[in-house]
Amino acid sequence: MNAYIVGGYRSAIGKAPHGTLRFTRPDDIAVTVIRHLLNDFPQIEKSNIDDVIVGNAFPEAESGMNMGRFLSLMSMDTVNVPGSTINRFCSSGIESIVIASAKITAGIADVIVAGGAESMSMINIGGWRLVPNPEVAKNNPGWYLSMGLTSEMVAREYKLKREDIDEFAANSYAKAINAIDKGYFKDQIVPITVKENYFEDGKMKTLEKIFVTDEGPRRGTTAQVLAKLRPVFAADGVSTAGNSSQMSDGAGFVLVVSEKALKRYNLSPVARLVDYQVAGVEPYKMGVGPVEAIPKVLKHAGMKLHDIDLIELNEAFATQSMVVVKEVGINPGVLNVNGGAIALGHPLGATGAKLTVQIINELKRRKKKYGMVTMCIGTGQGAAGIYEML
Amino acid sequence: MIRRIKKVAVLGSGVMGSGIACHFANIGLEVLLIDIAPRKLTETEKVKSLTLDDKVVRNRIVNDSLLAALKLKPSPIYKQSFAKRITTGNFEDDLSKIKDYDWVIEVVIERLDIKQQVLEKVDKFRRQGTLVTSNTSGISIETMREGKSDDFQKHFCGTHFFNPPRYLQLFEIIPSTKTDPKVLQFLQDFAGRYLGKTTVLAKDTPAFIANRIGTFSIMALFNNVKKYGLTITEIDKLTGPIIGRAKSATFRTADVVGLDTLVHVAGYISKTTDDERNDMFEIPGYLKKMLENKWLGSKTKQGFFKKIVEDGKKKFLSIDFDTLEYKEDPKPKFLVFDKTKDIDDLRKRMPILLSDKGKAGEFYRASFYSLFQYTSNRIPEITEDIYKVDDALNAGFGWKLGPFQTWDALGVAKTVKAMEETGKKPALWVFDMLDAGNTSFYKVKDGLKYYYDLNTRTYNVVPGQEGRLSLEVLRNTNVVWENTGVSIFDLDDGVLNVEFHTKMNTIGQDVLQGLNKALDMAEADFAALVISNEGDHFSAGANVGMIYMFAVEQEWEELNMAVQWFQKTTMRLRYSSIPVIAAPHGMTLGGGCEICMHSDKVIAYAETYMGLVEFGVGLIPGGGGTKEFALRLGDELKNGDIRTNAYMNRYLTIGQAKVSTSAYEAFDLGYLRQGVDEVIVSRTRQLAYAKKIALQMVEKGYSQPAPRNDIKVLGREALGIVYVGSNGFTKGHYMSEYDKLIAEKLGWVMAGGEISQVLTEVTEQYLLDIERQAFMELCMQRKTLERINSLITKGKILRN
Repeated sequence: MNAYIVGGYRSAIGKAPHGTLRFTRPDDIAVTVIRHLLNDFPQIEKSNIDDVIVGNAFPEAESGMNMGRFLSLMSMDTVNVPGSTINRFCSSGIESIVIASAKITAGIADVIVAGGAESMSMINIGGWRLVPNPEVAKNNPGWYLSMGLTSEMVAREYKLKREDIDEFAANSYAKAINAIDKGYFKDQIVPITVKENYFEDGKMKTLEKIFVTDEGPRRGTTAQVLAKLRPVFAADGVSTAGNSSQMSDGAGFVLVVSEKALKRYNLSPVARLVDYQVAGVEPYKMGVGPVEAIPKVLKHAGMKLHDIDLIELNEAFATQSMVVVKEVGINPGVLNVNGGAIALGHPLGATGAKLTVQIINELKRRKKKYGMVTMCIGTGQGAAGIYEML
Repeated sequence: MIRRIKKVAVLGSGVMGSGIACHFANIGLEVLLIDIAPRKLTETEKVKSLTLDDKVVRNRIVNDSLLAALKLKPSPIYKQSFAKRITTGNFEDDLSKIKDYDWVIEVVIERLDIKQQVLEKVDKFRRQGTLVTSNTSGISIETMREGKSDDFQKHFCGTHFFNPPRYLQLFEIIPSTKTDPKVLQFLQDFAGRYLGKTTVLAKDTPAFIANRIGTFSIMALFNNVKKYGLTITEIDKLTGPIIGRAKSATFRTADVVGLDTLVHVAGYISKTTDDERNDMFEIPGYLKKMLENKWLGSKTKQGFFKKIVEDGKKKFLSIDFDTLEYKEDPKPKFLVFDKTKDIDDLRKRMPILLSDKGKAGEFYRASFYSLFQYTSNRIPEITEDIYKVDDALNAGFGWKLGPFQTWDALGVAKTVKAMEETGKKPALWVFDMLDAGNTSFYKVKDGLKYYYDLNTRTYNVVPGQEGRLSLEVLRNTNVVWENTGVSIFDLDDGVLNVEFHTKMNTIGQDVLQGLNKALDMAEADFAALVISNEGDHFSAGANVGMIYMFAVEQEWEELNMAVQWFQKTTMRLRYSSIPVIAAPHGMTLGGGCEICMHSDKVIAYAETYMGLVEFGVGLIPGGGGTKEFALRLGDELKNGDIRTNAYMNRYLTIGQAKVSTSAYEAFDLGYLRQGVDEVIVSRTRQLAYAKKIALQMVEKGYSQPAPRNDIKVLGREALGIVYVGSNGFTKGHYMSEYDKLIAEKLGWVMAGGEISQVLTEVTEQYLLDIERQAFMELCMQRKTLERINSLITKGKILRN
């Protein structure tokens, strides 16, 4: 038994908290993407969809009330499709695809919509009410360390230089701008209609626009420009707003089906999840998570690093990305070929799904076979998944 | 009909215009600020394909100026959100709007022709009865009124704010011959009560009062400086706080103001007047060269001083008048300062300084005698009332003693004799005054201040004292008890005032004793108690020297008793049978802030800088301040609030030792209570108002509050975030490991300790006890003592 990805889309990624999607709820973004995805498969009756699984890193407020269930209610035109929300912070978006694939492989489901959605404009990292366990906080101060500081810890431990960090970041910007200008993302992005009511000159006015292009990358962001930014997480730090991932809003979803469903609906498979592994590391340097996760998944799949044609490594921070590249021995030529989260943004729980959609499209464009999506995860984990094009 | 000011239009958005607009916004009015529309597009505007017709372009000049003003430090506005009261516009599109405004203030460039053009348009658009005033530092008001409508002329006069308008107290009002006296009366009251200014009604003579005398004083120094054989640094030392003037003294002030501005004013006076010392307004050769070199002061990075960085250390070099090269002056040293260092009373210090036998005395005699001579000769030319000269220099130049006040302190007759001997004979009216047996320019009688009136040759009451109270005036008659730290005044009508008068008004044993004595007296025989003083600042906080002494000697029992006494005293302020009103001004820090926070009501002067700053000396507020923050947090919490966020907000205010930049900001920081405490803009009316409010509270029926046993604390719920936050700040190198320890203790006390059930109700005494315990534990730490020692010996905050 096998599970197949037959299609996938994402929204363009908005900047948080002041970008185009700032007032568009994560459930609304997700529903637009899911409806667009299902439009490609009119032969699948919605009531035959087994589940909607959404990854989200802070499932509360606008993302609360089991957002997955609301997505199924809002996008399926029937109350019969169930829905659930899952959370492994920054890998939530791929975790949902893994769960979908596993359920299908186990023979307990045939058609699942899986992905992730996040609005960092509406819900900040940490959520609205952060209540750490006092004893744990006191005895293990590293476990609750803020993400920015984990980046500084990695930089201190691996003795990274600010100029190299900025260079890495500038490279991400250059690749992202190139990809946007060449239209590489066009086919994978679902237009989102954004409606904003605002107050001006004593009246409420309305503005409507269609959002189709990633708005993260700022043109002209060279290493020289980045060098002028001040550290934001530590007084003497190296991580800045320009060499860290951006806060973002967005969603991405794929449709995962069984062999039975392939035949029944006459679908052509696009890709499949080969393997996926998560590893645990010290929380205070969570950024090195992929250093453990990548070898773990390769070993489990019986593959070598050089078998992988393209890698999407989520750039939580330039610091941790550089350490992963060096420690794992990644060929920079296959890494984040269309730019990474520093330029394009990192909508936490949506990222795993967004990167999945991106890598499948890019493998297709390049006619390559194997791709890897990997990321570090807050509180000390690393995840890595391998896709095979079919 | 009573004139009301609701809307004010300010024409011209330069440094003064924007500053004036902000100050009107400060007092709550609706303000329209206008400047010219630009004639050319900027590059950015071109890129955005904007045209000269777009509103953003048309209002660009005014918007940019206002934005720049709002970024200034110190800020022209009490609180940034107050700037929303200001609307901007441009002359072409928006001047006609002034028809709906009650007061139009013209603050355009100091050129008569341009002012005339603007005022003509104002005459066209204004409605009958609207006040129109010109903010000028010297242009003749009489010339400006000419050719306007009758109604305009009746409602027009000069109003001279000093820069920066929020901070400088002086407001000169200059009538023309046609100004309606009712308008002048109105403006005097409005500027005093609403804008918090000292108003001086001046004659329409060049540069009016303050600038005429103040500029003479500076220019005379510029012209004589070489004769004195003193360095710039020495002169600034001699003309600073030691004689009751700003720390920036003479030359540094000149650098800040800008030499071009100073020379402009001096040149104007020299051109338009013909007095006996006109030569002093001429520009000396070295100054001309400095102007040619564009060494204009701070704005060109060099003037009399130049700041350089050598081996990572800042150094101030000063100019040599002969070579025009910058050099490092040796540290000034004057023997006479040894004699004056323990004398806090300026009036007692002045005679000692002037009788010095050394260079300092020689300098003081020469410069003060010539100032006295010049000033006395300006009466009645610039004003007939000598008090106006002193008021103007007190309020406009920050001189604690104006010329006549200084002269009084030195002894008039004695000084006149010395002046004659050095060829600086004063004006004849001064001899007249002495001949008639009047020995001083001022007198205090029956709680009122009198000045010598040269027309009647008798003493008249200084006007404007009605409705005001001054401790200075009451000092000889109304003090009912005193010790080294406080004086208790009987303000009449059953109200007592306790005044601190220690160095920086710090709170030590004598002040605590005085506060308790005042409470005893008030509870026994009076109706209410006010806490206020007329020092530079309300209080810099507890006297940490005392804590240090106990701690070094390891007299823990005594220290514990002392802290407990402090706590009991602040608690008595609230839990006593009489209303207690605190009326703070200026710095109100640490223990001073705690005293305010425990009073029944605070009547704060708008310029009150409040903060619980104990962190800097390695402590947490221990006089009930930490307890009070926990109490207020509990009272503020509403159902459904994110409690940990509300907690963090309060916690960080103490943890980051936040100090308000105005009384209004003190509400936002939680030091003042919305709906309870009040702000008053007029410093001179503050005490009288506080007394009035105290009596109202008595009238309404005041009784001692019951002790609180219902203070809701967060307990364990809050502690995790404290540990996570303090660890983050430490790992981010924003604070030291030792800061972390203090931060955790603060968090513990504010959470009410490790109580399991959130919102458990505890007593005030429980919180005081854990506050004191944490305070004591910190006092026992070496690093806290190092911090206190650094503050005492070096006046610096040590972060160890």
